Amino acid sequence: MTVSDTSRLVLDEPYARPILVDGARDLASITDRVCGVVERPTPPRAWYVAITITSCLTLMLFAMVGYLIATGVGVWGNNSPAFWGWDIVNFVFWVGIAHAGTLISAILFLLRQKWRTSINRAAEAMTLFAVCCAGLYPAVHVGRVWVAYWLFPVPNQMQMWPNFRSPLLWDVFAVSTYATVSLLFWYMGLLPDLATLRDRATSGLKRGLYGFFALGWCGSARHWQRFERAYLILAALATPLVLSVHSVVSFDFAVSQVPGWHTTIFPPYFVAGAIFSGFGMVVTTMVPARELFGLKELITLRHLENMNKVILATGSIVGLAYATEFFIAWYGGNPYERFVFLNRALGPYWWAYWLMIFCNVVAPQFLWIKKIRTNLLFMFVISIFVNIGMWLERFVIVVTSLTRDYIPSSWGYFKPTAVDVCTFVGTIGLFLTLFLLFCRFLPMVAIAEVKTILPAAHGHGAHGKHGGEGRPGREVSHG
Amino acid sequence: MSSLNKAPTPPSEGSFGPPLCEDADGVSRRRLLQVMGASLALSTAAGCRFEAEEILPFQSRPEGRLPGTTRRFATALEGAGFAASLLVTSYDGRPIKIEGNPLHPVDRGACTARSQASVLDLYDPDHSRGLVQKDAGVAYPRTWKEFDPYFARILQRHLAEGGAGLRILSAPSSSATLAQLRARFAERFPKARWIHWTAVTRTQELAGARLAFGVEARPLLQIEAARTLVSLDADLLGDHPAALAHARAFAARRNPAAPEMLRHWCVEPAPTITGGTADHRLALRVEQVLPFLAALEARVQAGLGQAPAQVEQGGFLGRPDVSRFLGALCAELLARPGESVVAVGRRQPAAVHALAHRLNAVLGNAGRTVVYVEEPARAGEPSGEPAARLAELVGEMDAGVVQTLVILGANPVYDAPADVDFRRALRKVPLSIHLGQSRDETARASVWHLPETHPLEAWGDALSWDGTRCTQQPLIDPIFERRSVLEMAALLVEEKAAARDLVRAAVLPGAGDEAWRKAIHDGFVEGSAPAGRALPLAPFELPAAEARAFRDELSPGQWELALAPDPKLHDGRLANNSWLQELPDSITKMTWGNAAWFAPATAKRLGIRDASLVTLKCGGRELLCAACVVPGHAADCVTLHLGHGRTAAGQVGGLEEEKVESVGFDAYRLRTLSSLETAQDLEVAATGESYALARTTDPAVDDSIGQHERDLRLHELLRELAHGPSPAAGHAEEDQHAAHHPALESLWEHDAPGSVRWGMAIDLNACIGCGACVVACQAENNVPVVGREQIQRGREMHWIRIDRYFTGSEDAPKLRFQPLTCQHCESAPCEQVCPVAATVHSSEGLNDMVYNRCIGTRYCANNCPFKVRRFNYFNFNKAVQGPGSEVQRMRFNPEVTVRHRGVMEKCTFCVQRIQRAKIEAKNEGRTLADGEIVSACAATCPTQAIVFGDLAQRTSRVSGLAADGRAYRMLEELNIRPRTSYLAKVTNFDPAATSHDG
Repeated sequence: MTVSDTSRLVLDEPYARPILVDGARDLASITDRVCGVVERPTPPRAWYVAITITSCLTLMLFAMVGYLIATGVGVWGNNSPAFWGWDIVNFVFWVGIAHAGTLISAILFLLRQKWRTSINRAAEAMTLFAVCCAGLYPAVHVGRVWVAYWLFPVPNQMQMWPNFRSPLLWDVFAVSTYATVSLLFWYMGLLPDLATLRDRATSGLKRGLYGFFALGWCGSARHWQRFERAYLILAALATPLVLSVHSVVSFDFAVSQVPGWHTTIFPPYFVAGAIFSGFGMVVTTMVPARELFGLKELITLRHLENMNKVILATGSIVGLAYATEFFIAWYGGNPYERFVFLNRALGPYWWAYWLMIFCNVVAPQFLWIKKIRTNLLFMFVISIFVNIGMWLERFVIVVTSLTRDYIPSSWGYFKPTAVDVCTFVGTIGLFLTLFLLFCRFLPMVAIAEVKTILPAAHGHGAHGKHGGEGRPGREVSHG
Repeated sequence: MSSLNKAPTPPSEGSFGPPLCEDADGVSRRRLLQVMGASLALSTAAGCRFEAEEILPFQSRPEGRLPGTTRRFATALEGAGFAASLLVTSYDGRPIKIEGNPLHPVDRGACTARSQASVLDLYDPDHSRGLVQKDAGVAYPRTWKEFDPYFARILQRHLAEGGAGLRILSAPSSSATLAQLRARFAERFPKARWIHWTAVTRTQELAGARLAFGVEARPLLQIEAARTLVSLDADLLGDHPAALAHARAFAARRNPAAPEMLRHWCVEPAPTITGGTADHRLALRVEQVLPFLAALEARVQAGLGQAPAQVEQGGFLGRPDVSRFLGALCAELLARPGESVVAVGRRQPAAVHALAHRLNAVLGNAGRTVVYVEEPARAGEPSGEPAARLAELVGEMDAGVVQTLVILGANPVYDAPADVDFRRALRKVPLSIHLGQSRDETARASVWHLPETHPLEAWGDALSWDGTRCTQQPLIDPIFERRSVLEMAALLVEEKAAARDLVRAAVLPGAGDEAWRKAIHDGFVEGSAPAGRALPLAPFELPAAEARAFRDELSPGQWELALAPDPKLHDGRLANNSWLQELPDSITKMTWGNAAWFAPATAKRLGIRDASLVTLKCGGRELLCAACVVPGHAADCVTLHLGHGRTAAGQVGGLEEEKVESVGFDAYRLRTLSSLETAQDLEVAATGESYALARTTDPAVDDSIGQHERDLRLHELLRELAHGPSPAAGHAEEDQHAAHHPALESLWEHDAPGSVRWGMAIDLNACIGCGACVVACQAENNVPVVGREQIQRGREMHWIRIDRYFTGSEDAPKLRFQPLTCQHCESAPCEQVCPVAATVHSSEGLNDMVYNRCIGTRYCANNCPFKVRRFNYFNFNKAVQGPGSEVQRMRFNPEVTVRHRGVMEKCTFCVQRIQRAKIEAKNEGRTLADGEIVSACAATCPTQAIVFGDLAQRTSRVSGLAADGRAYRMLEELNIRPRTSYLAKVTNFDPAATSHDG
């Protein structure tokens, strides 16, 4: 490589503090910019159009769920042998989406990836909304929704405990724990920003509401000190959850004995896939959102590029997992497993399998090319592929395995119904509605955290080689 | 024209009721209580309904009678002219379950799917509930009080003319009582005629006997004494009046433990369950059976030195597989004189029957393995084809000769040959009166419709195939005002005596009370069967087979259409029975409808896809019909089953008037007087449209990798051994399979096995795949019917299913059956994954399903490797809930929960029967004996392929079978430890008939 070549490459100087936010921003302008989105009297017209559509879809979801509960699970395409269909496919899909938020917030925080600060708030919000969509499915997919609470270990007159051997029960604990910790983590991070909004509020109602949820935050050093510590603790709590929740979800499959489900590779493979799909969804939503709300300088191309790198890495892991599955199916010598994988690639659902391979393994490889991973259009298209591919992955796992298990006479074929499709589209509507409401009423970017990465926060400008290596957590924040 | 030739006068002008409203058929609460009270009173009188006219509560409980316990009564059901002897379980006066009568010498406790399903008809809302008179196209409800004086007046007028304009049309019956009444009718109305009509007849069979013996006789096959069975287009185990007896004898002779195992050779066009049991099966067209049998006879004659060795005429007889089959079969027949049976099916021409009789005589079988009894006298009925006599009647009706036509239980508007336009002729009859169980096609075309009793509501008698006289007693007072054929016949001759007295006088004339009580208790008159014997052969000339019969391939447009009664619906009379409609066909696993069966090669040649629509053209008539490709079907031949496509069967089978779509395609539209069984000018045209068949098995395995894998797995799932001294093929394979299994260990400790371990053994060698167990389970366990659309979605609810596999080549496959129900695994995978512990192990090893704990995650069903769990995707019992369905709900077995939507269900090993037997034993202070508890499927199995019992008891039958050398457990390598043992199928190939390439 010649000198002239390297001069064109923009490489971070490893020991220099990178510039993470564009524009020569000062602390006040950051506050203005982020709060401005919330405080402007009317949101952009596009927001109205979007929320009209998405709330209609949400209403459709409620209608579909109502119909389902009133009529029976038969309104979906589930049958025998595919006792699970789109219900569980979508559940796993949404749980996967929910992974990016906590990963960005907790793991990148612990790894001191400062660039996370611009996107962590939105990503965490997405986590929560995705968990809402995910949680809906197991709740309503059961045959008797009205007694679904029996899944929880509630003391009762029957003196019945749930069956602790069942992975579904582990799932209940894993997802509900994850939802709780994610909510707490997100809310904790919101506190200083809610206080900022309270302080800037122009109407009594807003001041009252933001003030109520800000829990009396006044930015004192003691508040900051406790906040920092609590945030760190929650980050430490959330980190294993990122790994555990999808591992446990994968146990639903791995612990069963359905060929194609019963494999030990599932936990790491599912976690990688979840991160992959989660980042895919963050890119899908952030690319338009930063345009819409004028946050390009806070959520920079550098952020997007970093996320694309994660997508490329996890996508490759997923590809490796697919290859490993096939290898083990052949090498393991279990005839049932061998058939499952042959059937995935060549059986009645071959189209789903090869589409999945294209979306999840082939498409992300384009991100090796810097031009593509820094091009908004390309990355958006690839992220859509990732979303589709990861949905298909769950479809392939759930449906191809179930429809052709042990006894050939009971093999079947799964076809979704219109209610299946409308329910899934409805959850997308719910997810986007919640996200749009979040964008309108809460600070999309963590104001307080972003300020910590401004050059102004470092007092003497760039610290050079010794900056921030010694202490865990963030730099001392000055509010 | 007589004075009768006027429009019928309604009984009295003032009594015109409102037009009949179909919704008015519901039962009021008051009526229901009356009915139930009546039945309660009835059951004490041992089912006798004429003594207890009043409905009164008991003042004191009769001894031995406990409310809520079941009682069982023997009765009979005459389906298609022959009696099935039944043992009916009655719960507080209402019959809920039909099983075979274990005392009966022929049925011996077994029962067909059809007989069992008839209990559903009793409570069917489409089972007629009142009289209907049609006037100017409007139907008015009537009562018997209105009808009786009116009909008496009509008869009086006919009496004056000697009955010249009176015609009676009834289904043939073997009832002695009816025969007596008929004879009296003939005396009373000398000019009247009484004609029998049924679509499926034994005309050719009887003509064949006349040809061979000079008398009408039926062969009784003594399969238990045979070593070789040759069935020629004869569905001996399925569609035969003695199928149950054949099946039992067949299974006994196929037991590999017995010294000589029966070998079965079968020639048939379409695969049947009989062909499925064959060791050697040859698929030939219907018309080819005659040249085949002639060639066989010639070879046998030559082998016996009675005739010069003859070379067969060419054509298909020269085909290597046919000639090898013939050669080996002939050699075997000669080697086993007097130990073989040659049986011919109903639809074969008379000559084939005669030929078989002769061959049986030549081989020394007659009198040993085949005995004959003469047909019972048929009260002056001329022999010959009923269809021809029906055509005569239609001629008379057209000519205006018939003034009054009384139709008793027949449905000619639906099932008459297509060139006999009964419907048109009926319009020309001034007064037509139809007595039938439902307002069928004929009822709707007649002036009067009278509701007929269900067989469980009436007295009667009938003959079983061997000639045993069976008695029929009512289990319940007619739920609605219905009358039996006997009662109508009594009306015709002004007989005032009660039906019971008539039956007694006809069945046991002059016998004492003791004999009568015994006959009613047993359900038949002991020793009433005539002794079978060999009949002297009369010499006869054999008609030469047509030249086309020899041809191996036919040109399109000359194909053979082979009509056959439906294995489930028979001639269509059972089309409104949802249990039978939903019972998967043994061969195609098709429910809800029929389709034209094509051989794979034929379909390929014509470009016909499976599950597509085709047009069948035959004798200038056309039928648009679904096609189904059936491996093992004879080429250039299309099989179509009768009995489908009803337009006035009811809410289940199709009802045009209420826009309820017909189920299946009406094959009668292609059936003419000249093509009653087969037609030789069939043209087939593909329409290119597809048609969704409701099959429970095949459609999902239509790709090559799936088929390949299925074939691979079958060796393990459905094991097979070869019988006899050449164990090389089978056993080596078995050893190989057994070799590498390491000891399996469980993840956790299991409870110590209890003192009782319920288990099951299923002998694949005995199972013939008839489906009787499926209906037995459905009736016993309140298994819901889901309907055509849900079957297509793959949501059938049967707790026991019979898996059917074709193995080997498409053209000559082997047919294998495997009944599959919950295996009650000791380390049950379903139990481990249920999050709410709704499926758990009982102390007796049952895998129990706790319905009211189940929340319906369906995880258990996913994890069940046998896929025997069934989920209530909807409330499948919705139709029978709420007001208006009280009568339908009476069919439920009160000992079994009716499941709600959203819960999982599956086979319980009939836990209610286990509990009942345990309670009984405990009350009597004794221990349970082996064989005391019989699950519903095992109880009805004609071959006793299913054995239920205690595996902890060393001496129990099921333990013995589980330890048998043939026993294996499915998917044992998953360490699930199934409780059900399967006994490997044993084949008995003749090496001489097996080609070298297998």
